[in-house]
Amino acid sequence: MKLLVLFFFIGSAHAQFNLDRLNINKLIDTTKNVVKATSDIAEPEEIQIGKDMASRLLGAAPLARDENLQRYVNRVGRWLASQTERPDLPWQFGVMEAPQVNAFAVPGGTIFVTRGLVERMKSEAELAGVLAHEISHVLRKHHLKAIQKGAQTQLAGDALNQALKNQRADVRDKLVSFGAEMYTRGLDKSDELEADRYGVVIAARAGYDSYGLPAVLQTLQAMNAQDSALALMFKTHPAPGERLTALGDTMQKTLDAYASQPQLAERFFQTVKK
Amino acid sequence: MRFLLTLLLLPLLAHAEPATLVRASELKAQPATDAATLAQLAADAAVDASERSGGWVRVKTQAGAEGWVKMLALRYGGSGAAKRGDSGISQAINVARTGASGTQVTTGVRGLDEADIKTARPNPVELKKLEGYAESKPSSASFADSGKLKAQRVEYPK
Repeated sequence: MKLLVLFFFIGSAHAQFNLDRLNINKLIDTTKNVVKATSDIAEPEEIQIGKDMASRLLGAAPLARDENLQRYVNRVGRWLASQTERPDLPWQFGVMEAPQVNAFAVPGGTIFVTRGLVERMKSEAELAGVLAHEISHVLRKHHLKAIQKGAQTQLAGDALNQALKNQRADVRDKLVSFGAEMYTRGLDKSDELEADRYGVVIAARAGYDSYGLPAVLQTLQAMNAQDSALALMFKTHPAPGERLTALGDTMQKTLDAYASQPQLAERFFQTVKK
Repeated sequence: MRFLLTLLLLPLLAHAEPATLVRASELKAQPATDAATLAQLAADAAVDASERSGGWVRVKTQAGAEGWVKMLALRYGGSGAAKRGDSGISQAINVARTGASGTQVTTGVRGLDEADIKTARPNPVELKKLEGYAESKPSSASFADSGKLKAQRVEYPK
C-alpha cells in the first residue's frame, strides 16, 4: 500500500515536470545557482555596479576641466532622460578629456561623451541625439544584459550573485573589469541600431530637431575611417553609413515629423569652446 | 592670376562639401516632398552639398542644377580617397598595428583607446566630481524652457 502511494506520487510529479516547463527551469536555476534574469537585478545593484564601472572608465580618461561645459551637458542630458520610462535614475553626464571620438552608456544612468566627439558637433540637437542614443542603452539595459551573459561564463556558480551584491571584493573586481572591458568589445549590432531608433524618439520627445543624431552620423561617415580617433568607436559600432541607412528604413516618418524643432546651434557654440 | 582668383573664391566654396547619393533621388525646388521636381538624380551621383533644412539638404549637381534632396540619401566625403586625413592623434599617441588583425596597441599618452580602458584603475576622485555636476529634473526643465524646447508624446517604433 505504501509502495502504491509512492508510485502515485512519483507519477504525478513526473507529469507535472513534463507539463510545466517553468518548474523545470526553476529547478535548473536552483541547482546551478545561476543568477536570476536581468529584469530581476535590482535597481540599486544596477546603479552600484554602474558607479564602479564609471569610476574605472574615468581612470582611463578624466573629466574635461570645464565646469560650464559639464553643467551644460548635464542639463541637456537630464532633460532628455526625464522624457523616458526611467526618469528617476540618478542620471549623470560627463565630458571626458580625450581626443578620441566616442560615447559610453553605463548601467544605472551614467553617460560619457568625449571632447573629441563634442568638438565635431554643430548644435545642441546633435549633442541631444548622441546623448539620447546612450540613454537608450541604459533604458533597454543593453550593457547590463551583456555583462550578465558574459560574466556567467567567467564567474562560476554563485560568484556572480555575490559580485553583484558586492559581498566578495575579489569577484566584484573581476565583474567590474569585465564590465569595463565590454566597452572595448562592443554590444550586439542590433542593440546599437535599436539605440539609434530609440534615440531619435527621445530627442523628438524632448523637443529637439530629430535629425541631430543622423547629422552626427553623417559627420562621422565623412571622416576617414582609418583615422585613429575613430578606431575604438568604429570597432564597437556598425559603420555610420549602415546606421544611416537603417534609420532611413525604419524612422523616416518620425524623423520628418519633428525635423523643424529647435537645433539650438547658438546656445551650443556659446558653451562649447573650440 | 588664376591662383589669386581661386584664393578669392575659396570662402564662397567653403560651405559646400562633396557628397554622393546612395539612392536615386528627385532634385526638389524646395525642401519639401510636394515641391516641384527639377531633375531625377541617379544613385551614386556626385553633388556638392551645402546647408540643411529639416530633413533636406541643398545640393548642386555636376550639371550645375541646384535644389534639395533628402538628407538620408546623402553620404559625405565623396570617394574614399577624397576623405580628410587623420586628425593627428596617431602621431601623438604612437599607434602600432599588430599582426594581420590590425588591432591597435597604443602606448604613451592616456586616452580612450582599447588598451587605456583595459588597464584603467578606478578613479573615485573623478567620480565624485561627476556626481557634483549632476542636474535636477526641475532645473533641466527650466533650461529646456529657455531654449523653447517643448516635451511631447512620441511613440517608439514597433
